[in-house]
Amino acid sequence: MRRLMGFVMALALLVAGMSPALAQQKSTLDKISETGTLTIGTRTGSPPFGYVNSKNEWVGFSIDLVEELIKPALEKKLGKPIKVEKKESTPPTRIPLLSSSAVDLIAETMTDTRARRESVDFSLTFFVTGAQFLVKKGSPIKGIKNIDGKRIAAQQGSTNARIIREKAPKAVLREFPDQPAAFQALVQGQADAYTNDGIQLAGLKAKSPNPAQWDIVGDFFSYEPYGMAMRKGESDFRAVVNAGLMEGIESGKFFEIYEKWFGPSGELPYPMSPQVRSFMLLQVVPK
Amino acid sequence: MNYKFNWSVLWTGESGQWLLSGLITTLELSVAAWLLAVALGIISGALRTVRVWPLRAAATFYVEFFRNVPLLVWMFFWYFAVPPLLPQGIQDFLFAHGLEFWAAVCALGVYSGARFSEVLRSGIQSIPKTQLEASVASGLTTFQAYRYVILPVALRIIIPPGTNESLNLLKNSSVALTISVAELTFQTRQIETYTAKAIEALTAGTLIYLVLCVSIATLMSWVERRTAIPGLIVGGRQRR
Repeated sequence: MRRLMGFVMALALLVAGMSPALAQQKSTLDKISETGTLTIGTRTGSPPFGYVNSKNEWVGFSIDLVEELIKPALEKKLGKPIKVEKKESTPPTRIPLLSSSAVDLIAETMTDTRARRESVDFSLTFFVTGAQFLVKKGSPIKGIKNIDGKRIAAQQGSTNARIIREKAPKAVLREFPDQPAAFQALVQGQADAYTNDGIQLAGLKAKSPNPAQWDIVGDFFSYEPYGMAMRKGESDFRAVVNAGLMEGIESGKFFEIYEKWFGPSGELPYPMSPQVRSFMLLQVVPK
Repeated sequence: MNYKFNWSVLWTGESGQWLLSGLITTLELSVAAWLLAVALGIISGALRTVRVWPLRAAATFYVEFFRNVPLLVWMFFWYFAVPPLLPQGIQDFLFAHGLEFWAAVCALGVYSGARFSEVLRSGIQSIPKTQLEASVASGLTTFQAYRYVILPVALRIIIPPGTNESLNLLKNSSVALTISVAELTFQTRQIETYTAKAIEALTAGTLIYLVLCVSIATLMSWVERRTAIPGLIVGGRQRR
């Protein structure tokens, strides 16, 4: 027993000893300038925000925003060319990846929430959506009002599962670590519906072998503004990221990228509503 | 580090309740899977040492097939691939009655059973052949010899590696979260979802697993001392 205590003490000392080293971390901008690399965390299975396409290229709307808007802004600020490196992040791993400095920016499908703002900082909102349900055609489920007693699949670590738990406590939640497993459960009947942000369901439906078999139902039962996340307290870095996004919105480049992915001939047609367009423009502060 | 620790997330809100329910699910899952694994392990481990070759072959097939495929694949197998083979009525019943838990029990139990089997086989094979011969000569059938002589001794010999496998089983139960079983690791992620405090949640989970495993190891070493056969093992545990 005494030896065990000694071991625990040693472990505690080790952890305590590591903390000062971590405390003297340099700022994200210095890190990017020194390494010449901006490391982003993004998705591999969330079309069209971040996914691996049929040509085996890692692409997406969120990735384009970084490559075409934020990277030029960073290069201007630092006065030298930088390259963008991509790593995979998922809902359970994205905040630890940021905190440990494994990545500098999360650019995927992360909803900006007040609880998350206590751990990370967010950029401007770059996409707006809300949660809905994906069901088999002809399913009795029409929205959050009639899911009591039904088995609802959700993605673990997402905001949707949390809202279901609060607004429909009688629904039976089944949470899966990633989208493919949750969708498989819906296909086979282990789940009656799958809930996620409407835009992601649309992406999933479009990519499924038989899109006509599926329906996206219900009004948005949550508000999901997507932002890019950064380590907390990095206001210089955040200013550059936001400046890049603002310049893109102002110059129209942002809307061009949007058209590329969500336009009529894009990966997933999803026209931007006039409200969302004016919301994007209103986020831009004067030069 | 820019990360601000906030340990209070572990006891404010529903976190404590979630950790507790996760712990209970982990224990239920592990105990059910352990019973299955030990039963399968004893049967197939014993069969691997008998003289009748079809029995030996069947046990060998079981062990090699199940231990050489990753546990994650077994989880998906029992959850996604088995139900469609069943009639619609049974399927609907399972879907409505916690299929994921029982799929996880089967996956973990059958997989760990194959590993237990090897541990038991090594225990049986460490017993001198003369013991079996003497038992049979004294009038016992082969089954009786295994039941009353060989297995009781072998099971005592294999307590240390058996404990190892049991602890592995407990920790492997976290893989069940991939098929939506709300066990301990799942609940620590849940806390992360609600509070965005991943490091605190993971630390809590780690400590709970550590305490559980150390307690089991301590209990098993007590069992080992209690059931040791005097004179059988060279250099057994010293009394303090």
